[in-house]
Amino acid sequence: MATPPVPELLKTHLSKLAENDERLDGRDRFEGRDVIVETGVLARAEGSARVQMGDTIVLAGVKFQIMTPYPDRPTSGGFMTSAEVRPVCGVHWEAGPPSPEAIELGRVVDRGIRESGCIDMEDLCILPGEKAWQVILDVFALSDDGNLFDAFATAAMAALRTAIIPGERFDVGEDRPLPVSKTPMMCSYHRVGGRFVYDALRREEIGGGERIHITLGDDNHVHSLQKGLKGAFTAAEFDEIMEHARSRCAELRDLVNN
Amino acid sequence: MGGYGDVQMIDDNGIRVDGRTAGEIRPVSINAGIIPVADGSAEVIWGTNHVIAAVYGPMEAHPRKIQKQDRAVLDVRYNMAPFSTTDRIRPGFNRRSREISKVTAEALESVVLTELYPRSKIRVEIEVITAEAGTRCAGITAASVALADAGIPMTDMVISVASGKINGVVVCDLNKEEDNYGEADLPMGVCANSGELVFLQMDGDLSPEEFQIAWDYNMEAIAPVHEMMIDALKRSNGGDE
Repeated sequence: MATPPVPELLKTHLSKLAENDERLDGRDRFEGRDVIVETGVLARAEGSARVQMGDTIVLAGVKFQIMTPYPDRPTSGGFMTSAEVRPVCGVHWEAGPPSPEAIELGRVVDRGIRESGCIDMEDLCILPGEKAWQVILDVFALSDDGNLFDAFATAAMAALRTAIIPGERFDVGEDRPLPVSKTPMMCSYHRVGGRFVYDALRREEIGGGERIHITLGDDNHVHSLQKGLKGAFTAAEFDEIMEHARSRCAELRDLVNN
Repeated sequence: MGGYGDVQMIDDNGIRVDGRTAGEIRPVSINAGIIPVADGSAEVIWGTNHVIAAVYGPMEAHPRKIQKQDRAVLDVRYNMAPFSTTDRIRPGFNRRSREISKVTAEALESVVLTELYPRSKIRVEIEVITAEAGTRCAGITAASVALADAGIPMTDMVISVASGKINGVVVCDLNKEEDNYGEADLPMGVCANSGELVFLQMDGDLSPEEFQIAWDYNMEAIAPVHEMMIDALKRSNGGDE
């Protein structure tokens, strides 16, 4: 990623705003941007969604392939997430092989979905030991104005919940909806001007410190956590964030489940 | 080029599988300014094709060895998203996308006034979101609109259209189904005002007469698409005259 211009000036500005508990775009500390979720937006994907949060726009597409089950789990299908943060989505993203940031994005989104158990892997089995469905989730950034993590996670669940297993095209039975039993949701917090804020803008990310990502399931069970970038936080700070994440994840879940 | 001669793709009245006549292009819609963080952007929806272009710059060109002392370099990337086709595409560059990126850059360099920005770089990112035959043409068209949306000075805008041949009949703008049985493909990039060509490829088999018809079909499609490009730019930039 390119070095952001003049981060020190930006940091000073963000600290001054924080003193009055303000943010760049006038939001409260834990106020998210409006989230718009659309599904069925990609004609060639078996499930798809577009999520817009302010000037951050992402797509998610679900494709299916037939795989040979792993020898230790002959009756299980597979699930794979790949995050594409191509240079189309912002001046700071460069061309080339996936950056560590893009790989982290894909892996954190993947973990939240996988560990929640929302996809029944046994249900993806076609012929034990020989054939099973592999669900491939591709998340793709169109416009990055911060918090790609939450945008990706939201789009991912909206796409999975509308995905159709293309049995007829692969000649292995009828088309049927991909069973998704839960809706894990992610909330991300960045340290900006000394305190944590929810749903950071790109400029808040550049001028901010460490970040924390929390994925919660329907029953508020924790399914993935990730702390990124340099910095240290206290248990009290984490408690405050977790409390907010519980209510916000529920709101996002309602949005995705309609 | 499949060349399966026994599949009927055009009926006795000259109507194609999707109801078009031979010289007709698919429905097209164009929007500019669709990526808020980009300096310029556009989407071209051409039939089922959905292609997005973003422009960043002019900006400092680095590493320094890519700089040109007398002009800007156009850094063009054409890429197909993994979910853009029926069978998923593995992410990453391949020979096809590199070639398309190269010829697209050369087409756009012919109209962008690069000499106004010596030692700088203009990034043009073309992403195919949904593919249905003719993505390179839609990409060039989208990139032209995105460059204009970014306010990059150009002598002209490039519109790209392809014609081809199915069942021995020359037709304009093949869709995916027709392309699978296509016997020739002639994509062209034409400057809207001057009528000059800045992009040209061809493969397949065309007689001199067929070649002329394909050429003429492409030329006829330029003006209506140019109108849509101008309209898109007016809508996104708030003008209406």
